[in-house]
Amino acid sequence: MSAGMRREELVRMFAAAAQQIRREHERLSQLDSICGDGDHGTTMVNAVEAMETAMNATSATNVSVLLKGAGWGVLGVDGGASSAILGTFFAGMGVTDLGEECDCGQFARSLAAGLRAVQKQSKATAGDKTMMDALVPAVETFAAAAADGSDVREAMKQAADAAQAGADATKDMVARYGRAKFLGDKTRGCEDAGAVSIALLFRGFSVALSEEKEDSHA
Amino acid sequence: MHMKKFINDPKRLVAELLEGYTLAFPEKVRLSGTNTIVRAQAKEAGKVRLVTLGGSGHEPGLSGFVGEGMLDASVAGDIFAAPGAVKCIEALRAACAGGEGALLIVLNHAGDVLAANIAMQAVEAEGLKVRMVLTQEDISGPDPSDRRGLVGCVAVYKVAGAAAERGASLDECFEVAQRMERNMRTLAVAVRTATHPATGQAIFDLGDDEMEIGMGQHGEAGTGRMQLKSADETAEIMLEKLLADLGVRGGEELLVILNGAGATTLMELYLIFRRVAKVLEAKKIRLVRSAVGEFITTQEQAGFQMMIARMDRELIELWDAPADAPFFAKL
Repeated sequence: MSAGMRREELVRMFAAAAQQIRREHERLSQLDSICGDGDHGTTMVNAVEAMETAMNATSATNVSVLLKGAGWGVLGVDGGASSAILGTFFAGMGVTDLGEECDCGQFARSLAAGLRAVQKQSKATAGDKTMMDALVPAVETFAAAAADGSDVREAMKQAADAAQAGADATKDMVARYGRAKFLGDKTRGCEDAGAVSIALLFRGFSVALSEEKEDSHA
Repeated sequence: MHMKKFINDPKRLVAELLEGYTLAFPEKVRLSGTNTIVRAQAKEAGKVRLVTLGGSGHEPGLSGFVGEGMLDASVAGDIFAAPGAVKCIEALRAACAGGEGALLIVLNHAGDVLAANIAMQAVEAEGLKVRMVLTQEDISGPDPSDRRGLVGCVAVYKVAGAAAERGASLDECFEVAQRMERNMRTLAVAVRTATHPATGQAIFDLGDDEMEIGMGQHGEAGTGRMQLKSADETAEIMLEKLLADLGVRGGEELLVILNGAGATTLMELYLIFRRVAKVLEAKKIRLVRSAVGEFITTQEQAGFQMMIARMDRELIELWDAPADAPFFAKL
């Protein structure tokens, strides 16, 4: 049974992630309106559209090439810090060559490389009430699941749950990074829109991989 | 809050505003690529290029300062949001096409810095000659090591632009920009909020009788909310904080810029400036240069930014040098 990650899986993952964002973009903007200027949903819709466009624009089957393409697609979006972080993450994932198919362990290392690329650009760390609060646990949980011998589907499900828990936890945090940090205590009481976006992306990834599993049994 | 603005399609706001801007000043600026403003006539070969980047909705900033003696290119982002890194890379490549090298001037805001760093790393890897100056002169905010860039960038564009026009090297332009940056301080005050032109959302709330010192360019809340004060009192409170932070002594020479936020009248700005000039005189601090007007706005926000900068002979000379940008001219 193939539990690997190929172009086919990646295309479905990004499509499902985009669907999650499109379904929730109004809630994302609403969350952003409390601590920001209320345009995060729009930014994320543009970002996932750029991801999909980049993915569909090439017939490449190399997983790294596709990830890098998606990343640079997002880096082309005028989305402030959100698109810069997201684009850096996917472009960073594609830096090591994953070939046409990679296994769970290789994909875990790719996710970790993406996270390191983000950490090189941004001073934000977990606890600052940013995307990092969902991204760090997602990447770490995926790696732990991979190390335990989980397949990609199971590891992604755990990563999505971790991202969700991370996003939920931002509700009680006070922003310490970016524009929102100047709002101080006023930022407590609502989730960080960026962290919720990351959780939605990983949820989409997980949903796509689960469906695929069911398909292959059919 | 109900928004009353003349807008077509909110999604096309930035494209349409830049198109209108270039149509209004066709002899000075033109569009190059997506949402990047460059000079209508490129600077002579052999001279360092100046590039900046930043969100839109702050007109005339930042693209209003593209022109002779100032910027060569301005990469405009979406409303209040940094431009994508890809466009910044393209602008730096274009600026370096003649081999002169480029100085990237960036206001310290999270998204702008991310885009700038990604772009700098990409073009450095290509072997282009680029350097970057971060403007971070806002004295409000909790963390002195992470101050925002406000209207002071205009002074940096001016002096570094003049140096570049004189044929200074990239390192020399960088040094001038850095010296200007380190010797300037800004403080903002707001009395009424603005609405985000695409989302229609009010950026912050302020009571009818309140003002807030330390308000950023996007309405980031400051720290000093207080009862609305007179022009003289407001000028004194802000100037004292700025002088203390910069450590200005009697006999020193200052540039003062008052930047209206969008809905504060020139009348009010002159009342403020009058008091600033009188206080400086009383302290025997020399007000050698000044600029009063709208340079970087936040839609219909009411309030202003007060910027002071310690000047030396060379900085004054560079400030006085000819410039001919649509929103900053020295003839």
